Amino acid sequence: MRPEQAERGRKIWTVVVLVLLYLPIVSIILASLANTRYLRFPHSSWTLEPYRQALGLDQTYDLQMTSLKIAVSVALFSVIIAVPGALAFARYDWTGRKLYQRLLLLPVFFPQSVLGLAALVTLSALGVNLSWKTAVFTHAVWIVPIVTLIVSIRVYGLDRAQEEAAFDLGASRLQAFFRITLPQILPGLSSGALFAFLLSWSNMPLSAYTTGVDTTLPEWLYSRMATNYAPMVPAVSVLSIIASIIFVLVWQAGRVAVTRMAAKIAGRDLD
Amino acid sequence: MTKTETILSLRNISRTFGNKAAVKDVTLDIKEGELFTIVGPSGSGKSTLIRMLAGLETPSAGDILLRGTRINDMPANRRPTCMVFQSLALFNHMTVGENIEFALTVRGADRKARRERARELMALVRLPQEFYGKSVLRCSGGERQRVALARALASDPDILFFDEPLSAIDYRLRKILEMEMKDLNRETGKTFVYITHSLEEAMVMSDRIAVMRDGEIVQLGDPLSIYNAPSTRFVAEFMGQVNLLPVAVDGSGSYVIEGIGAPVAQAFHAGPHSSIMLRPERLRLLDKGRRADVEFDATCFNFYLLGSRTHIHLRRDERTFIVELSPDMAVPEPGAVVRVGFDWTDAVSVQGEAP
Amino acid sequence: MMTREQRTGLALMLPPALLLVAGFLLPLLFVVYTSFMPPRTFGLASPPTLENYVTAVRESYWRPFAWSIFFATATTIATGLISWPIAKALVRSSRRFAVTVSVLIAVPVFIAESVRLFGAHLFLMPRGGILAGTIQYLLGLNIGSVLFTPVATLLGLFYIYLPFALFPMVLGLSLVPRDQLEAAQDLGASPWQQVRYIELPVASPGIIIGSLLVFVLALGATTEAHILGGQSAVPVVHAIEQRFNYAQDWPLGSALATVLCVITAALVFPLISRLNIDRLFSR
Repeated sequence: MRPEQAERGRKIWTVVVLVLLYLPIVSIILASLANTRYLRFPHSSWTLEPYRQALGLDQTYDLQMTSLKIAVSVALFSVIIAVPGALAFARYDWTGRKLYQRLLLLPVFFPQSVLGLAALVTLSALGVNLSWKTAVFTHAVWIVPIVTLIVSIRVYGLDRAQEEAAFDLGASRLQAFFRITLPQILPGLSSGALFAFLLSWSNMPLSAYTTGVDTTLPEWLYSRMATNYAPMVPAVSVLSIIASIIFVLVWQAGRVAVTRMAAKIAGRDLD
Repeated sequence: MTKTETILSLRNISRTFGNKAAVKDVTLDIKEGELFTIVGPSGSGKSTLIRMLAGLETPSAGDILLRGTRINDMPANRRPTCMVFQSLALFNHMTVGENIEFALTVRGADRKARRERARELMALVRLPQEFYGKSVLRCSGGERQRVALARALASDPDILFFDEPLSAIDYRLRKILEMEMKDLNRETGKTFVYITHSLEEAMVMSDRIAVMRDGEIVQLGDPLSIYNAPSTRFVAEFMGQVNLLPVAVDGSGSYVIEGIGAPVAQAFHAGPHSSIMLRPERLRLLDKGRRADVEFDATCFNFYLLGSRTHIHLRRDERTFIVELSPDMAVPEPGAVVRVGFDWTDAVSVQGEAP
Repeated sequence: MMTREQRTGLALMLPPALLLVAGFLLPLLFVVYTSFMPPRTFGLASPPTLENYVTAVRESYWRPFAWSIFFATATTIATGLISWPIAKALVRSSRRFAVTVSVLIAVPVFIAESVRLFGAHLFLMPRGGILAGTIQYLLGLNIGSVLFTPVATLLGLFYIYLPFALFPMVLGLSLVPRDQLEAAQDLGASPWQQVRYIELPVASPGIIIGSLLVFVLALGATTEAHILGGQSAVPVVHAIEQRFNYAQDWPLGSALATVLCVITAALVFPLISRLNIDRLFSR
């Protein structure tokens, strides 16, 4: 049957593209497993020495810390701003909403380097010192719209009738929000926070311009790739990838645990 | 009016999904020009069956023959058939005219020919000509139905399939469209194969009905004979409201009506695991001294006005009976004890024990 | 008289709106204003002048713009074509397949761009690189390398921006109702006709968003050229960065950045205002 062949052809194409997508990442891992000054693949001797060096480097710790501080701050900040933002985006009908929706998406459709430069120009004109805090602010500008969109998707799915039922039963607007609305958009907040963290953790163009004295991991890697290459550099890259994977797994496990606990507290109603 | 030429034949058609059989060994013939309805509850397999006929699914076994030629492997876009989907599946991003002309557009017909044909069809399905450029999203439920019909007729298919198209419409409009469908079938002379879960719809429209349950055809025939002579309790109950009287064997081995004691007439074919079926209009209220072959008392507890008829519900020994009153009868007071009865010629023996 | 609903909506939109005014609008205004400052000055105190724009034209700064537009266009088309079969496969397949593939494609997005491109660089390096080295080892052949050519930059761009073309396209295709496709088939449409009359029109919002996103982001991309293309083709952002970092000429850099913003805005505004955002995201 022809449609089935086409279906299979598409799946094969997907697998091919996936393999190509992971070649560079595999290459980094492979490159990190030798201790030669220049890359000579296949390696004559395979070793984990670069990882020992990477882990022993003080700088690695500082870099991870800086990236972590920024990413966590961005995640928290984004979620807090995204909640009202998403409600305005998807729930309440007000004049100017359509315009707001479009304007909110603008920073996403924008070259990041220009955003970073613009931030740099502004901050120095205002006499503000560059540090990891200014980076948080700049990251937020393009990450908040994305998180808002993610939460909005949840908000669109809200059942208005449930809120109305809550009023009918005597709840105040604020109570209805905290007891009915918020719990239902919580999964969106959780994904949004995770997204925000990861986007910030891996970001380089914005960080490059706005961190000033502090340096994030991607910044450092970038500068070392261009000059002063050492096998430790891919090793550090791999470590930062592993760090984000661990973070995601811990996050997911935490979510599952919290959901289960909440279900237990809510009682046996779920049976 | 009986049709004689067979246009579509199903021979031992079955369809299994994994280890579940949705359609089991169905064999039937559909005559050219008739309006053939397959009725059944949801899950009976009727949707799967019609999709196989339309070419949207392949049978696991069996043959589908169109005028004698096997069409199992013919894909849907080559079959001279068209389907009206349950959701109508109108192309929301197109206008009424574009929808109707679609079959012609993909066959490369030129604009003028398409436009003319669309006009014809819109007149046939009673859509105002001004709707031609209207977006289908802005059409009402009834208008969308007509667009779907016109669209299916555009390529002049030999057979039209209908997958419960009226299920989402309100009652009044549905009644109108049911009759229009039947008119359309007469006017165009095309074969209509219709599926629905509504017995009323099937009765109004069909030349012949097949009752389907759990993947199998349990009875096939014209509406009136299925209604009056259902073969099993399932068909009886599915085809409308029904009174079922249980049959028991008394001490001397002959059949009696349980709970009432009256013997079962010789001419009536009772058997083990069967019941006596009476439609509400056949169980009569015996007022003014009227008599019947079998008579018994029951207590009236409620009545229901159904347009031109009234049904009363009676209770006796935890069993409920439904009696249809003729227009000249007064409705008994709830709580009153009344006498009801039936004649053996009005009773039908069905397979399946009364509850 | 505003309804309660309207007042609530306006109040709620303030936090992100303020953030964007302060963090997006304001900096852009600063950049635009800086572009009117005399060349090689700092600060905003000097009288405004158009000199930077004149310089931009006169000193052939149109060339980096042309390269960037070429790269962006090529990337948009290529990623669109590569994504289409994948998007279709994801929309039609089982949930497990779709989720697994989506996760696999999304994961690299959260790895720093420079890291991934660096990996591509190591892969494509001649002689000692992963690809060249393996082929040398297995087949004894000495292949060249595309590194430091525009082709390498293009490959890097396709690689980085593929997910941005794919996911909106999946979103768009998921809007196509299955029954409409079946109806089209039943009415006689061939597979290609189904794509042309049903899939493309209905999925177009997703395709537009994806293409726009890829184009704009690729237009502002510079890392690919740095890491893979070397000096072979200088994109406009690189030229801007050079003005800021090496040449210490903020006004000229700002002028180039302003032109880039104007080009971006000219594309983004008309296309975004045509979208019905509620219909797209409310499922």
